[in-house]
Amino acid sequence: MSPTSSRDASQPRLDGEARATAPDRVSARMPASAGEPAIAYPVKQPFTWWTRRRGYLLYMLREFTAVGIAAWMLLFLVQLARMRQGAAGYQPLGGPLFVAISIVCLALALWHSYTFLSLAGLFMRIPLGDRTVPARLIARAMFGALAVVTVAIAGLLIWGGA
Amino acid sequence: MLGLIWAGFATAAVVGAFIVPAHILIQGVLGPLGVPSFDRHYGTFARALSNPLVKLYLLVLFACSFYMLAFRVWYVVRELGVPSKLGVGLVSFGLSAVGLIIAGYLLFTGP
Repeated sequence: MSPTSSRDASQPRLDGEARATAPDRVSARMPASAGEPAIAYPVKQPFTWWTRRRGYLLYMLREFTAVGIAAWMLLFLVQLARMRQGAAGYQPLGGPLFVAISIVCLALALWHSYTFLSLAGLFMRIPLGDRTVPARLIARAMFGALAVVTVAIAGLLIWGGA
Repeated sequence: MLGLIWAGFATAAVVGAFIVPAHILIQGVLGPLGVPSFDRHYGTFARALSNPLVKLYLLVLFACSFYMLAFRVWYVVRELGVPSKLGVGLVSFGLSAVGLIIAGYLLFTGP
């Protein structure tokens, strides 16, 4: 139906009306008559929707990185709590299991860093004359900064233990 | 309100992306394998924690990590089909706040 056609002004404009003109494609949101309210049916996805595509899986993995990081921080809190036992009772976390857990958590933390800093070029707009700094350059600068900060913090942590 | 929550997440995620990997690498992997790290001995750990700036820094580290967890759980759990936006938010951000309070208590009341 064209917008200029002779329509009754009291008749509401309905969502999906254009698709409803073909009898076999009636929208589920389309009310039977103009007097009835439009019905919205919630879309229910199966719990495993994220296993359907590799991109969805990587998205969920990215979200899961926060769990790994927080889990490692809980272990660090345990170590902080052990400090209260004094010099004689203090024992830092160690052993193959702790190292294995840390390696997994490190991989998740690096995945978070990679995915989030890669986005920096998309949401940062740095004006440079008439144009803006290219997104790829911003992302590279972020990764460079990550390397510098990592080396600096690692140096301080090692220096503190020397 | 939602904008503030998002801004907090963006800040926590960027700061966390920069500082978290170094801690896990040194304290979690290289330290137990023999590389000196400040938390391997009571003396060096206590000396580091005697500096208020170190305490503040570690609190930021915990805050970023727990906030990221709360925010991402808040979103992912709903995307997995749990309908209660408010309930999931209260639980995830509440647990995050509890974790941060415990971290602050351990950092600022410890030896």
